[in-house]
Amino acid sequence: MTIRKLLVRTPVWILLIITAGLMLFPIVIALLGSFKTNLELTTGATVFPIKWQFQNYVEAWNKADFSGFTFNSVYVAVFTTIGTLLVAAMAAYAVDRVAFRGKKLFIFLQSFTLFISIGAVVLKPQFNLMVAIGLQKSLWGVIIILISAHATAFFMIIGFFRGIPKDLDEAALIDGCNFYSTFWRIILPLLRPALAVVALFTFRNAWNEYILPLVFSLSRPDLQTLPVGLANLRYGAGAAVENQLMLAGACISILPMLIVYIFANRSFMQVTAGSVKG
Amino acid sequence: MQRNRIGAYLFSFPSFFLTMALGVYPVFWALRYMFYEYQGYGTPKFIGLENFARVARDTEFWQSVANTFVYAGGKLIITLPLSLILAVILNRKLRGRHAFRAIFFLPTIFSASVMSIVFYIVFNSYNGIINQYLIKLNIVSGPVDWLGAAHAMLTIIIIAVWGAVGNYMLLFIAGLQGIPEDVYEAASLDGVNPAQRLWYITIPMLGPVLQMIIMLAITTSLKGYESIMVLTEGGPFGKTEVMYLYLYKLFFPLTTTGTSVQNIGYGSAVGFTTAIIVGLVTWLYFWMSKKLNNVY
Repeated sequence: MTIRKLLVRTPVWILLIITAGLMLFPIVIALLGSFKTNLELTTGATVFPIKWQFQNYVEAWNKADFSGFTFNSVYVAVFTTIGTLLVAAMAAYAVDRVAFRGKKLFIFLQSFTLFISIGAVVLKPQFNLMVAIGLQKSLWGVIIILISAHATAFFMIIGFFRGIPKDLDEAALIDGCNFYSTFWRIILPLLRPALAVVALFTFRNAWNEYILPLVFSLSRPDLQTLPVGLANLRYGAGAAVENQLMLAGACISILPMLIVYIFANRSFMQVTAGSVKG
Repeated sequence: MQRNRIGAYLFSFPSFFLTMALGVYPVFWALRYMFYEYQGYGTPKFIGLENFARVARDTEFWQSVANTFVYAGGKLIITLPLSLILAVILNRKLRGRHAFRAIFFLPTIFSASVMSIVFYIVFNSYNGIINQYLIKLNIVSGPVDWLGAAHAMLTIIIIAVWGAVGNYMLLFIAGLQGIPEDVYEAASLDGVNPAQRLWYITIPMLGPVLQMIIMLAITTSLKGYESIMVLTEGGPFGKTEVMYLYLYKLFFPLTTTGTSVQNIGYGSAVGFTTAIIVGLVTWLYFWMSKKLNNVY
């Protein structure tokens, strides 16, 4: 290795390693800290726990009701993902394969919701609509509003449709399939790998969503999801803030994502990289 | 074919209906109420442009707009160069590049609000983990007030950068893969050094992709408020109040700080104003980058 190469490579590796350390720092702090006592967390300045406090998780799960938060989070994320995939894939199929009147308007509306952002203002009429159909006291209010924001999923799936030749539809038609059975029997199975990627993206967003479930649980604490329940501990009234429970709760929220990410990080990245090309 | 058309309407209807009811209708709802005096109860009263006159006079709002620019500017100035450099490094055949990409992208998969709780414990002024280490290593003598008036904005920006770098790195890598290899080969024959290569080849060749990524970065950073809401609620003394957080509080007053009351009519006008501000900044950026393109 020449000196010149060494001069270039050393700073590159230093930059990479320092950045990696900074990126991992809060995650490692959360994982290790969740096994410490509150006292050790707030004054210890230790790296590893002196004694591993596994009961932090038991306490968070039972006493701080993280079992309930987790159930709500799983419920919202699962049904939002299923609903979004179904609604977006059906619409993408119609738009990609059929010439119908109003198609351009439809695409315009989808992009309108992506580009116009008036922030929290929309939450009020959305909430009022849910009150009108009696879903303001249910997680389904949250789920339906999350499904309604499916424009990104729609455009992602449309992108994948380009990879499925139209000849296939025609062949299916000749073999006796109609518009509907072609979708269920031919298109959906072929879209499966693409849908898995979109599902990952949708599930992650629903799992991490904070503002919407917060608004719905303002008067119904039993509807709190993990991010909401956790953030409420930060401003928890009454007793002293218990940092170790907050970190255990944070880990309950981030661990499932972390585990999926370790096995499927390429799929996670595919979504992001694909969204700029589309 | 006729049957297909009916099928197409049936298949796109759920999407159309949800988009109209929960995506389009709320915008028009806000467009109506911004001309009304309405606190969430009683009958709304039409007051014309009075809400907008109030927006113009609202120093607290304009302070939050200024804070938003500090926040977004600080976040972008660190995030964009850093993620571009990381992307350039990790786009080459370096050992361990997949592991590094995965590590840098990791922060983006977690909930901003959940990670803000972790960061609260890390940066807590009184007994945070950073302060414990800094004092133990004798770098500072007393605790640094990371979330106090002097440093809160900086802390918020550091956290935002942490969550964003991986995302933009990946977008840049996707863009870099569109640059043909032989351009670099020709340059290396001409004896170009890495810094020149980045400035004279990579950045110009990224062209429209770079422009799109910067625009995406600008709009997302102007809109972000979730992590600020969890971490500081805009405090202390409104130092970290950004415009979308200010807007949120007009509709859903935060119980702990209790500084604002629900005000739907005025909130709608503020929402419209913030959307215009974001639109103006985006337009200005487009205009400027077009001018710069003409120079080259």
